[in-house]
Amino acid sequence: MRLFWELTKISFQRHLTYRAATVAGLVTNFFFGILRASIFVALYDLQTEVEGITLQGAITYAALGQALIGYLHMFSWFELMNTVYTGDIASDLLKPMNYFSFWLAQDVGRALVNFLLRGVTVMIGYAFLFDLYWPSGLTHISAIATSMVLSLLVSFSWRFLINLTSFWTPNALGILRFFFVLSWFFSGFLMPLRFYPDWVIRISYLLPFPHMMNTTMEVYLGVLQGPEIVLALLNQVLWIVGLVAAGQLVLRMGVRRLVILGG
Amino acid sequence: MLQTLQLYRRLIGVQIRSQMQYRLSFFVEIAGTGLIALLEYASLALVFARFETLKGWTLGQVAFIFGLAELSFGVMDLFFSGFDPGYFGQFVRRGRFDQLLLRPINITLQVLGSKFMLRRIGKIAVGVGIVVSAVGMNPIDWTPLKVLLTGTVVVSQVAFFGGLFIIGATISFWTVESIEAINIFTYGGSMMISHPMHIFPTILRNFFTFIVPAIFLNYYPALYILELPDPFNMPAFAPFLAPLAGLWMLFMALVIWRFGIRHYQSTGT
Repeated sequence: MRLFWELTKISFQRHLTYRAATVAGLVTNFFFGILRASIFVALYDLQTEVEGITLQGAITYAALGQALIGYLHMFSWFELMNTVYTGDIASDLLKPMNYFSFWLAQDVGRALVNFLLRGVTVMIGYAFLFDLYWPSGLTHISAIATSMVLSLLVSFSWRFLINLTSFWTPNALGILRFFFVLSWFFSGFLMPLRFYPDWVIRISYLLPFPHMMNTTMEVYLGVLQGPEIVLALLNQVLWIVGLVAAGQLVLRMGVRRLVILGG
Repeated sequence: MLQTLQLYRRLIGVQIRSQMQYRLSFFVEIAGTGLIALLEYASLALVFARFETLKGWTLGQVAFIFGLAELSFGVMDLFFSGFDPGYFGQFVRRGRFDQLLLRPINITLQVLGSKFMLRRIGKIAVGVGIVVSAVGMNPIDWTPLKVLLTGTVVVSQVAFFGGLFIIGATISFWTVESIEAINIFTYGGSMMISHPMHIFPTILRNFFTFIVPAIFLNYYPALYILELPDPFNMPAFAPFLAPLAGLWMLFMALVIWRFGIRHYQSTGT
């Protein structure tokens, strides 16, 4: 466990140094968030509440989405794939640490930096521009925090799993991109999932993506109440267990056939 | 001039052949870019059932400008992908741009010929599909002028987006690390132009009217073709400024690009 936190710390420090990238990311988050919020304002027009989400809630949704992208890192992650192609994976596999934890530790460090520098800043910035919805009460806030941590775990274990396809194909980039496009839509990043027709919602919940973002947003906005929250969190846990187990299984199959060329 | 064209054709030919090498991954990538465009449109179209309009505009009306923008951006990306800031930034960082500068051929032509993103065909196809369905959804009273204007809008938007890419590429001479912020110009500009401009805050809309004249490339031509009233009381010729706005953007971008090249200092790698 100490090894895990050491790796997290190193990754945290490494990501802290990417200052230019952080500032660029923030500027982008602000701009696109304002565009998305404008679209919500235009859609609501004279309506005050749609599917349990008020206009204020929808604007908060746009802000939250931008605040969480950096933290969740859902739309691109090719690091594990790259180590398979460069051969660096050989030394990573030899490390006295579970391979999944080895990457998870680093992702936690990355996520922490992005939560603090981008997530918090984005929310404070939007608070100046818009009248955002803020959660209140210890139970609500701890439910949000729990869901956020679970979101990261769903996001990471999914990214870990799909990166493993690089064991089987010499060019996994296209496959990974395809999956990242799906998560863009089905995670609820573009629109809250409950705005879609029922058949789209049903398809979404057959996939892991809603549990990466949509759930946390619904918990935050108070759309889910009491037992619904508990159920949603349990659902996230189930997906994590499933994805981690699948990751371990696929990894074991992949390692057996992995050939690393010397060099 | 003829020689230049021939050279361009050769450079592009090489690109196309190399991209067709891996057939399967080529088709997967076409499907991928098509899927991005389709899902982005779907995210808006599918929620219309719950909201009815986008500040007064029906789905058919929004689809019309959305499709035109997708189509134009796709066509632009075919030809101008050498200037794609994400790609060009790496090109500069790795010092490959320096190699091009050493060759006795026009640098702009070389960058244009350095990439030809064939996979954008997927996006173009989806754009065409959206425009066709939008034409079906709107009772448009087609006149020869409206047909001509629609075609002109596509060409003008290609020039406009191309200009945005060139400006983005030029910025990456100075900030090779801040590629993500340049996305505001390129993808931000395309997101603005694929929605009706009256939904955005005044300050943003004014910026995209008077500084970057995007409003004349989608909103005003659409108002004319779909026969909608103008909420901003622009002169009656505003819908026909599209080609001027597009060419102006491309021209300004080339001026900035030349300035960038004259002041370019290699990254030293």
